[in-house]
Amino acid sequence: MLDGVLQTGVNEWEVPVGYVPGMRVPGKFFLSESLGSTLETGAIEQLANVATLPGIIRHSLAMPDIHWGYGFPIGGVAAFSLDEGVISPGGVGFDINCGVRLITTPLVQKDIAGRRDLIEELFRAVPTGVGGKSTLRISPPDLERMMVKGANWAVDTGYGVRRDLIRCEDGGYMKQADSRTVSEKAKQRGVPQGGTLGSGNHFLEMQVVSEIFDPEAAEVFGLSLGQCCCMIHCGSRGLGHQVCTDHLKLLETATKKYQISIPDRQLACAPILSPEGKDYFGAMAASANYAWANRQLITHTTRQVLAKMFRLEYEDMPLVYDVAHNVAKIEEHTIEGKQQKVCVHRKGATRAFGPGSDELPAELKKIGQPVIIPGSMGTSSFVLRGTRTAMEKTFGSTCHGAGRIMSRTQAKKNLSGKDITAHLLKAGIIVRAHSDNAIADEAPEVYKSSDEVVNVVHEVGISRLVARLSPLGVIKG
Amino acid sequence: MSFEEISHTADVKIRARALTPDALFTDAFLALMQVVYGTDRKDGITKEVRIDSDNIESLLCDFLSEILFIAEVEGLVFSQADITIEGLSLTAVLSGESFDPLRHSSGTEVKGVSYSGLVIEKDANGYILDILFDV
Repeated sequence: MLDGVLQTGVNEWEVPVGYVPGMRVPGKFFLSESLGSTLETGAIEQLANVATLPGIIRHSLAMPDIHWGYGFPIGGVAAFSLDEGVISPGGVGFDINCGVRLITTPLVQKDIAGRRDLIEELFRAVPTGVGGKSTLRISPPDLERMMVKGANWAVDTGYGVRRDLIRCEDGGYMKQADSRTVSEKAKQRGVPQGGTLGSGNHFLEMQVVSEIFDPEAAEVFGLSLGQCCCMIHCGSRGLGHQVCTDHLKLLETATKKYQISIPDRQLACAPILSPEGKDYFGAMAASANYAWANRQLITHTTRQVLAKMFRLEYEDMPLVYDVAHNVAKIEEHTIEGKQQKVCVHRKGATRAFGPGSDELPAELKKIGQPVIIPGSMGTSSFVLRGTRTAMEKTFGSTCHGAGRIMSRTQAKKNLSGKDITAHLLKAGIIVRAHSDNAIADEAPEVYKSSDEVVNVVHEVGISRLVARLSPLGVIKG
Repeated sequence: MSFEEISHTADVKIRARALTPDALFTDAFLALMQVVYGTDRKDGITKEVRIDSDNIESLLCDFLSEILFIAEVEGLVFSQADITIEGLSLTAVLSGESFDPLRHSSGTEVKGVSYSGLVIEKDANGYILDILFDV
């Protein structure tokens, strides 16, 4: 492990106050010894930088998929008190409510394995990659409703069923959305991109449930061994990117106005309850809602393709859950024995509320929130469940994915997209993307082992393993 | 053109060297276009952009963010820029073509231009830039 970092328990580490000047609380992260070799100094510095922000409560936290980002590290979590704390776009990221959802089907592996026609049809139906434009007609008034009502708008418009909303974090929309604080530029970017996947690490993957760790939870979530599922990973597209860019600039001015000292310009922030802080929160929530609507639109397209190809009913493909992993939320947590409303930033981290949480629908209350962790291309993804330990240790948060360990430059130098595609095909996984570059960029080798990452959160107890999903076919941007 | 991609785990880090700020900004602009749209980019359609900012780092971030916006909303892919910086005002005459999915889909969308690790410095050999694009 890196110098200056202290071990405080099995897979638990502390970055003491003083690691960088001005830290108000220690940093804390969860990582196994073996994953420790992948830890970058830059990521720990970013974790420590977050600890300098006003109003931070208890710890600046990072999950085992921690890596070097901008502002907060990826995998970063921090809660701030509402009266003294700040809100920062650097703790949310450019891709607001980048998130992931899982849909189940009545199909089994033999129905889908080797079906290139299915992957080609999904690639044709779901716009992907640079310049991908929506095939749905989304008008500016529709966009307004997407930003206010999120996945609710999509379901009301016919792109889903009411039950989908019960299985979305926050019921598929944040009530604090304020579209007046979303710029015209952001709205212009949002109209043509509703229902598009994007590029980079975003994907749509057909998977099979290959292992059940927790039969009781799996049953409640609607998962059974051998069942085929579809996982969708994407975010708020150009609209969210523009909101982050616009408000970062506004908050830079606010940082000076409120005389907040920050160690990195990407941590520009404002008091949560200041006009500037509220404006960013409203615009961020509107972008988060756009992202939920976007994933709902892609779900609709996917269900249409599967229904047509396999003669399924639309209702035969229920949503297991939809989680956000780049977002700031006002949540109630126990702080020094008292229930308190705080602003939790999750940047590349997933909410993992435990059993009994008021936020969960009745059918999930006993088990806890489903947590969906995408693996890298060609490796396992996982479903976990939230725990009470997460509520105590991490403000109800866990990891969000595998976490990169190899740079894109190195990936392109060392790996060939064609070889990776051929190798994955031998393993029974069909990959479809716009370019070989996109495949090399996201090859399994560039990520930490998703098995190791989820084992850490399972052992620490901030979420518990429910099921493993193995890939059968994937479309990428 | 003098820029290179530097190893960075999650995002795209670009290092550029140039004799003048105008040339340095041009390198950053060309790097951004190459990351998103690849190397096969033609000229033809021209567009003028003006940006004013409070400091040189913001001027660059604001300019590149504006390019991302114009390219996406107007469906344009740029191959050249004639950039003039006077104080903290920038004028750029851009040249490019309409987005062609067959030739311009091999890159990666840039979600934002980051201030983290942004360095613009002058040394005896001219100007040097480090900049991070979130992808």
